Parts: sequence; structure tokens; C-alpha cells
Amino acid sequence: MPGTLSKKLALTKERLYSLVGLAIILALVPVFLGFNFYYVLLAADVMLAASLVAAWNIIGGYAGQLDLAASAYMALGAVVTGHLLANFGLTPWIGMFIGAGSAVAVAALVGYPTFRFGIKEVWYALLTSALVVIMMRIYYLIYGSFETYIPHMEPEWLYLTFRRYEVYYYMLAAMLVIIIWVNLKIKDSKLGYYLAAIREDELAAEALGIDVRRYKLYALMIYALLAGLVGGIYITLTGILSFRLFDPWLGIVVAVMGIVGGLGSISGAVLSAVILRSIEEYLRGTIGATYPGSHLLVYGLIIILVGVLKPEGLASFIDYFKKKITRRGEEVG
Amino acid sequence: MQVISVDPSLLVQNLVNGVFTGLLYSLVALGLALIFGVMDIINFAHGDFVMVGAYLTYVIATTFMIEPSLTAFITMPIFFLLGIVIYKLIIEEVLGAEPLIQIAVTVGLLMVLRNLALMIFHAEPRGVPFTIFTQPIVIGPITIASSRLAAGIVSLVALWLIHVLLTKTKWGIAVRATADDREVAELMGINVKRVYAVTFGLGTALTALAAALIMTFSRADPYLGLLYGLLSWVIVAMGGLGGVIGVLFSGLIIGVIEALGITFVGAGARELFIYLTFFFVLWFRPRGLFGRR
Repeated sequence: MPGTLSKKLALTKERLYSLVGLAIILALVPVFLGFNFYYVLLAADVMLAASLVAAWNIIGGYAGQLDLAASAYMALGAVVTGHLLANFGLTPWIGMFIGAGSAVAVAALVGYPTFRFGIKEVWYALLTSALVVIMMRIYYLIYGSFETYIPHMEPEWLYLTFRRYEVYYYMLAAMLVIIIWVNLKIKDSKLGYYLAAIREDELAAEALGIDVRRYKLYALMIYALLAGLVGGIYITLTGILSFRLFDPWLGIVVAVMGIVGGLGSISGAVLSAVILRSIEEYLRGTIGATYPGSHLLVYGLIIILVGVLKPEGLASFIDYFKKKITRRGEEVG
Repeated sequence: MQVISVDPSLLVQNLVNGVFTGLLYSLVALGLALIFGVMDIINFAHGDFVMVGAYLTYVIATTFMIEPSLTAFITMPIFFLLGIVIYKLIIEEVLGAEPLIQIAVTVGLLMVLRNLALMIFHAEPRGVPFTIFTQPIVIGPITIASSRLAAGIVSLVALWLIHVLLTKTKWGIAVRATADDREVAELMGINVKRVYAVTFGLGTALTALAAALIMTFSRADPYLGLLYGLLSWVIVAMGGLGGVIGVLFSGLIIGVIEALGITFVGAGARELFIYLTFFFVLWFRPRGLFGRR
């Protein structure tokens, strides 16, 4: 039908414009922050959180699997990239992809039996959380509690060892835009529809002939790939390799941000990561200095309130405003 | 990572310790098994109740100079009420909600509890400097810390009491009926909301008992919660909602696995083996080792 086709084209065009708009806004952020060291680092951190949550949206939001291992895939990408750079002098431009490849391999290795044996819901969540701890312990057994520092290397562009944070910010921001683009691509693809069916009712999806295990595994692997790449960039920023990178807590926080954002809504996921991470950092700077942990306490209260009062998450607010704007548009037009 | 040859008496020593630790783990997990089994609530904050209990034990024991294990008589009623309050405020709102929402809300609760502890006590661990359990018991080459022995025995007694409560009393029958089928139980005139509130209170009170026992040989720190929380879930997964007996044996298995990991690979490996076991149990025995459903 030509009508629906042109409608679909218009939609993708609208999406393209909003992606370009987002890219322009993100590009201007350091300018607004006056290239202040601390603020740019903070912005890079927000981009990191948003990228991870956006990647998580594929497995958590679209496929409906509560994965708590974002930090495992991110950290694996990070340590592989980092050790290849620190020990063998391999440029992160290549190392990053080897790291992300390792993350995909682990995801496939763990995901295949997990989906094969039908591990779901809380058990999937716990299994993925345990995965982070297992990988942390394995790294600990190999490298101990030592931290490896990546030295400053020339040329900077080859080894990604910059003395300023702007470049890292732009790399993470670019990563975020790419991950959002991947999200939108998946949403409109066959894979996206299959995942939506699996999320709504796995048994019904299976009855319709969807190979549930296969598509869940695809979603998991794409997510691991993206998280691994984010980790590869992140390690060039911090330059410290440690078993602490495998942080089970970060995996939980990523999932919580995704849930607060509203499942399956990419704009909600990114918005929630940006808002929650910024609130956390703001509170840390204001009350957190006097009362350690108070910023996370407030953060916890916000999550409880959102979960109890607005289980649909931030996405419902976005929809509300969208409707309001379009309705106003209709009234004017 | 190297496997070393091990002195058999050290192995026996560690295994004995593992059994007593395992009993304590069972006690911690029992509260979670009750809450999850009866109410179908996914509580990620369970381990953090243990942590809060440990701090409460520390405060009461050091303020009034009481033996830490005896503070359980004070902390358990407090925790029972705390559990009911939290149930009314938060848990009741997410009963029957999507698992994702329950997890998010209880993670929020976990954050509040942990950071409350961090705010009040800061990051350094707090221990009670005195206990009556100081004299170790020596049997041949094996030395048993009396605090761990006491913790194991008290845990076992508590597990038995809960078992009797669930199987022999009218209230226990109501609880099990509610766990089996909420609607039918409601039709039979069981006040399900009250059963839920009391179950949550009881599950929370059990963590206070475990915390009091932990404080006789260990210290309270704000990050205690994540360890005990994940551990409890591992035991519940293995126990497969098979009642108190399932939880007891799963806890023992975990304790022994931990001991073997410490003996053969090193202290850094204890979590590794527990969670690897968890993976294999979930993959190959998804209904648990002692499954009922």
C-alpha cells in the first residue's frame, strides 16, 4: 500500500532528523560547559551511562530479559582493549573490536545454554548478576588485586591517550548516537517484531513459529557487542585496569535506569540515564560531601517512587507531552 | 590459579567450618524463601536487611553492653515490625506487578538501606569487641570456633522451629495454602493480606537473628548486603521452593562448596565456585535440587 509506505518513510525521516538534532546538541555540550575539565568529564560519564542503558534497551526493553550483566560485557571489552594496549602496544582502534568480540563470545557461550534451558525472569536476572561476579573473580585470580595503568603514548590519535577529556566525550557521544540508531533499526526490523512478540508472550511467540531462543540470543549478542565497544572507549578514558571494573552494582543500576525510563522506549531509556546520572552527581556534589551515601539514598527513593507510582516509567511522560504537542498542532493547523 | 596438594586435616577443618557457615546461610535464605515462595515477591533487598540487622546488633550490643547473640531477642521483634511497615509502604503496591518493577523497587529499597547505613556509620566496618564465644573447641587436629558452632546450632534450631510452624500449626497451613493458590485460599476465608504482611515480617525478622549470629565472629559493613542477597537467591534457586528441608540442604551444599574453594584454590575463589554452581543448577535443574513445583 503506497499510503503506509510513505507514512513509514516519513517516520524514518522524522527519526533521522531527531538523530541529527541529537548529534548537534551533543556536539555543542562541551561548548556550553565552557570546556571545563570537570564538567566535560561528567558529561562523558553521563554519555557512558546513557550508552549502556541504550544498549541494555535491546535485551531488556525489546526482548524483555532482565539482564544485569551490562558491566560484565563493558568491563570485558575494557580489560581486553586495555591489556592489549598496555602489554602489547596494540592500538585501541583494533583492540576495541577484539574486546567487543570477546564480550560477544562470552554472551553467546552463556546465553546459548541459558536460553536453551529456558531461564527467565528473576532467574535470568540473578544468573547475569552472578556472571559479573564470576568474571570479576576470574580476572582477580589472573591479575590479583593489582591495578594496571595505561601510560601516555604518542601519537595520541593512534593510542587514544589524550590529556583532555573532550575527545573521550565526543567518542562516547558518537557511540550513544550509533547505539540509538541501532536501536531504531532493530525496532523496525523483523528481529524487532519478533522480540516484541517474545516480550509480550513467549509461549504465544513460540506457537507462531518464532525461534525464541535464537532471537533472544541475537539480542543478547548485539547488546554485548555494543557494551563491549563502550567499555573499549571507557578504558582509554580512565586508563586504570582493575578487577573493580567488573562491578555487579553497575549492572543493576543500568537495568534500573532502563526500567525507570520505560521498557522498550529508547528516548525514555536515554532520558532516564541522563537525568538519574546527573541527579546523582549533583546530589553527590551538594549533600554527598557532608553525608556520604546520601545522594544514592535520594536516588533509591526516586526509584521506589517511580516504580510504585508510575510503573510505565518516564516514557509515559514523553508520550504525554508528545500527545499534547501534536494536539496543539492539530488545533492550530 | 594453581591447585596445591592439601593437608587432609586442613581439609576436614575447612569442611567443618563450611557446614556451620552453610547452616547460617540457610537461615539467611529461609526468610527469602518464605517471602518469595508465599508472596511471589522478588526481593532484592533481602541481603541488606542482614546488613541493617548487623548494625542494629552492633549499636544495641555496644550501648547496653549485651552479648551480641542475645540482642536477637530485641532486634527480631523490631525487624518483624519493620518488615510489616515496609510491606505496607512499598511491597503491597507492587504485589502482582511485573518482575521488572518488583526488582526495580526493591533495588531502590536496597539503595536506601545501604546508604542510610553508609551515612550513619561511614564506610569502616564495625565489630562488637566482646562475646562469650571466644574459647575454641579443639578435637584432635580440628579447631572449631565456638561462635561458628553456636551460629550453626542456633540456625538449625531456628530452621526446625520454622519447619514446625509451617507444617504443624494452623497459621502454617494458611501460609502454605496461600502459597499454593491465593484465590482459593481467599475463598476458604484466609486473610491473604494479613498472611502476606506477617510472612514478610517473619522473613525480615529471621535476617535479624542471622545478623546477631554473624556479629559474634564478623563485622558489619555497608556492603555486606550484596553478598548475602545474592547468596540467599542462589540457595533459594537450589532449594527450589522445597520448603525448609530444601533450603537447609542447599545452604549446607553452598557452605561445603565454599570451603572446598577456599581449600583448593584460595579465598579469592569462594564466590567463583558458588556462582558457577548456581549456573549449573539453573541450567540443568531449573526446578532446584529439592523441587516441589
